[in-house]
Amino acid sequence: MADLQMRALDITKHFQGVAALTDVTLEVERGSIHGVVGPNGAGKTTLLNVMSGFLSPSQGVVELDGRDITRLTPQKRVPLGLTRTFQNLRLFGGLTVRENVLLGQHSHARTGFLSLWPLRTAGDKELDCEADHALESFGLTEYRSRPAATLPYGLQKQLEIARAVSAKPRLLLMDEPAAGMTAQERLDLVPRIRSLRDEGLTVVIVEHDMDVIATVCDVVTVLNFGRSLIEGTPADALSSAEVRTAYLGT
Amino acid sequence: MDAYTEAVVIRLGIAILLALGYWITAATGKFSFGHAAFMAIGAYTAAILTVNFEWSLATSMLISGLTAAVAGAFIGWIALRLSILYLAIITFAFAEIVKILLDSWDYVGGASGLFGMRGTTVELVAMCIGVVIVYLFFLARSRKGLSYEAIREDEQAARACGLGVTGISVEAFAVSAAITGVAGALSAHETLIITPSQFGAPQSLLIILFVVLGGVQYFWGAIVGAVVLTMLPIWFDFLDNYYQITYGLLFVVLMILRPQGIIGRSTERRFNLGALKKLASSRNGAGRDG
Repeated sequence: MADLQMRALDITKHFQGVAALTDVTLEVERGSIHGVVGPNGAGKTTLLNVMSGFLSPSQGVVELDGRDITRLTPQKRVPLGLTRTFQNLRLFGGLTVRENVLLGQHSHARTGFLSLWPLRTAGDKELDCEADHALESFGLTEYRSRPAATLPYGLQKQLEIARAVSAKPRLLLMDEPAAGMTAQERLDLVPRIRSLRDEGLTVVIVEHDMDVIATVCDVVTVLNFGRSLIEGTPADALSSAEVRTAYLGT
Repeated sequence: MDAYTEAVVIRLGIAILLALGYWITAATGKFSFGHAAFMAIGAYTAAILTVNFEWSLATSMLISGLTAAVAGAFIGWIALRLSILYLAIITFAFAEIVKILLDSWDYVGGASGLFGMRGTTVELVAMCIGVVIVYLFFLARSRKGLSYEAIREDEQAARACGLGVTGISVEAFAVSAAITGVAGALSAHETLIITPSQFGAPQSLLIILFVVLGGVQYFWGAIVGAVVLTMLPIWFDFLDNYYQITYGLLFVVLMILRPQGIIGRSTERRFNLGALKKLASSRNGAGRDG
């Protein structure tokens, strides 16, 4: 039997009477790269928000490693090994690149009640080293002291992934990682996601860009009008008649 | 030091303490509109202890800080999970309620207040400021201080990083209230008499202005704001009746030119002259823009 890491079961989400998701089930296998695709308004981002805890579903259950996490806030899901990135980048723009990464480590830092230790640059050698390592592996070392908002867009995207990975998650939810990227950056994204998986991460990608999905994903779930249409390998899913209809409208 | 200078220095010191206390909650992006209430709680707690129970001022100040912290944690716990608009309303209402309760409480003299407190010295004020500055020096360099900034920058991103936004904000708010309470205690033992009306909305607003004028980015911005706003009325004494108009005007100009406050870096240029031009041209353009 497949080793399930995360499951969103029969998720329904209404926004003031409008159903954004209807009975959507997503089963994510450990160690896989799972794509969620669909036309605009299909409910992809809503599903990701439900999985990460930013929205609570009207109905349905979210499970992580067999544990019901439906009612947990996003910040309580991070220590359980679940982090995310955002569609339109949510960096701490006024803080430096390194500080952004340090914040990603928050769930591992021991900041007790009223305690001012550790400092940003000392007090926890292990975390500081990991931060430097993350900066290096994402090619951000030379920008470490710059405010994040002053970075070019592509690097900001890298920084957001670096920040999410710094929480040492076991499952990473990526919301449209390729959006706004140049062709070259898209090409670089694919090996980046693969290497995350090779380091032991499970990755769920919500994406509009079919090329990225087709190249990198093991499994694809196609959503349309808040319902799940089909699930399978990228080749099968993307060539099915229903999906063509949903995308091309013919 | 003559008595006048001493009085000015102590007033200045208390203003700095108030500004630093407020800065801590402002650093998390949470603005309270009722900090005078914590000042009142501190002032009355200390006054009751020194006058009615003859405790030493130092011990009473500690108790004042604790009492204000508890009140701050309680209000913060209710209001900080809501939007900043609710926070503003709840803190404002809280300050009014505290004032009304004190007004009708005979034990503390009702509206005519308590008197007979003394003992605030320059040394005592300086020591308190010293302790708070050391605390803030390390806070600004700690991961905890970083989490404050993160919450100010983007609460959703902070949640995605695993920050317990409400808990962190409540802690900051309680520490802020504690320092404000101690400042209130010092102030009560300087002015000899305290009445509930001293701790109304104008006092809350003054504390906010210290920090907004100085800038929230660095804590010493709050110090600059407190010094400027305390000394201006003294320096501009000769303006007499025109003083408040001048004062208001200065403020408006500064907020247009430097919205980030006197101290603080901006991603834009040092003086926002563009805003002035926009303002000047907006009268002509208003009709066309509809």
